Amino acid sequence: MGGIYAVMSIGLALIFGVMRVVNFAQGDFMMLGMYLTYYLAVAYRLDPLLGALVVVPPFFVLGVLVHRALLVRVTGGGDPQRQMDAQLILTLGLSLIITNATTMVLSPMPRQIRTGYATEAFGLGPLLVNQARAYAFVMAVLLAVVVFVFLTRTDLGKALRAAADEPEAAGYQGIDVRAMHGLAFGIGVALVAAAGGLLATYHPIEPTVGVNFIVLMFVAVVLGGLGSIPGAFVGGLVIGLVQAVTLLVLPLQLQNAGVFIAFLAVLYLRPQGLFGRRLRTV
Amino acid sequence: MLSITGLSVAYGGLHALERVSLEVRAGEFVTIVGPNGAGKTTLLKAISGAVPAAAGRIEYGGRDLGRLAAAARARLGIAHVPEGRKVFPSLTVLENLEMGSYRAEARRRRAEGLDMVYALFPPLRERRGELAGTLSGGQQQMLALGRGLMARPDLLLLDEPSQGLAPRLIEAIFEAIARIREARGLTILLVEQRVVEAVELCDRAYVLETGRIVLEGGRETLLADPRVQRAYLGA
Repeated sequence: MGGIYAVMSIGLALIFGVMRVVNFAQGDFMMLGMYLTYYLAVAYRLDPLLGALVVVPPFFVLGVLVHRALLVRVTGGGDPQRQMDAQLILTLGLSLIITNATTMVLSPMPRQIRTGYATEAFGLGPLLVNQARAYAFVMAVLLAVVVFVFLTRTDLGKALRAAADEPEAAGYQGIDVRAMHGLAFGIGVALVAAAGGLLATYHPIEPTVGVNFIVLMFVAVVLGGLGSIPGAFVGGLVIGLVQAVTLLVLPLQLQNAGVFIAFLAVLYLRPQGLFGRRLRTV
Repeated sequence: MLSITGLSVAYGGLHALERVSLEVRAGEFVTIVGPNGAGKTTLLKAISGAVPAAAGRIEYGGRDLGRLAAAARARLGIAHVPEGRKVFPSLTVLENLEMGSYRAEARRRRAEGLDMVYALFPPLRERRGELAGTLSGGQQQMLALGRGLMARPDLLLLDEPSQGLAPRLIEAIFEAIARIREARGLTILLVEQRVVEAVELCDRAYVLETGRIVLEGGRETLLADPRVQRAYLGA
């Protein structure tokens, strides 16, 4: 579970880090990624683990288009307070529209992909590890590594981070900050859709599934330090771990209670998050 | 090379610049001096495209910059070393310099550019793997200058490179600027509050006060001007 949380949280952190936009529709893009993976599995018998990779390009394009059509109107310049209000209303509205349109078109009925490995387990000494979760975890870590290499080893990735750090100075280096916003949003949406695809290997799919996860994504991102990519990755892993441990001592319905308790403890002891910088250069 | 005519910039109804005209010829070192809040930084930002012009015309290499975005102007060879340095704090020193050579012309000759910057500022080579946010103020200024040079610019805009630095460091930074100029034959437009050093370095200077050019001239003329002596040189 932790690996998938990590990937979805990286998507959210990337969008926030570069654009300073809190994307409430992130959970809905995840849900759409689950559905696309589901239909690929039904129509083409495509394994959801591969389906999760196949959804990356279309959702990247979708993200870039959403940025170009909607988000450019509420980012970059203008009164920051009013921009933030507009961004919240925009992404929340987008979230409501996507959830309800999906309910209307695809019905609220939950669906499930059946894979051979969903009910199988590896024996690791005395431990049993569910195979679907193990494969999904490995894929998630691979995705995170690809993103990390992109951000630290390529000029485009470095430019993305530069635009997040100091947009004004980035412009002076010839970096098109608006294009970087589009790129960040596209990658963020593609990542969360891929995480949805991986989740679909064992989690039921319904139009409102995103709501359950967006909260966890926010917790992971804040836990790791706002906008920090490695922080979001670790934050996601921590949440998965805390959930699993909570499950051992508390009933299933309370598994997120453990997450929030851990979250409050971290915020109390280290308010800037695990990987946050204490001071932001303004 | 750079020709500005009748440039006005307004922030929320306030006039930051009013009908400013100035000229920088290829290979020239021009300085703009003036008190705090005179509009010096705004002028540089208008040239590099960070703030829009309300009126007037900015021509660079015979081309109207008009509504070109900052990134597009940087690609034309204008490098802006901004006030307050604005290095990328969460990138390493090396990554900052690499971003300086983001434009295609500079990217091809990145290794050469790095050698030049490291030769000019040896501390940057030593700390190339560290995050720029951990550098001291003087080193950040070296990095900001180095990043600007990595772009292999035709026109270098320098905004208060001495700001917040100890006197010894200021001297070193100005020395570096003089060396850069000699070695590369760069065209430089410098904005400074430290009038003496800035005017000593330049070929020509403009005095900007409350958004208007009040005086211009060659180095000697300006240093000899009684108004400049009274206001800036404490004579």
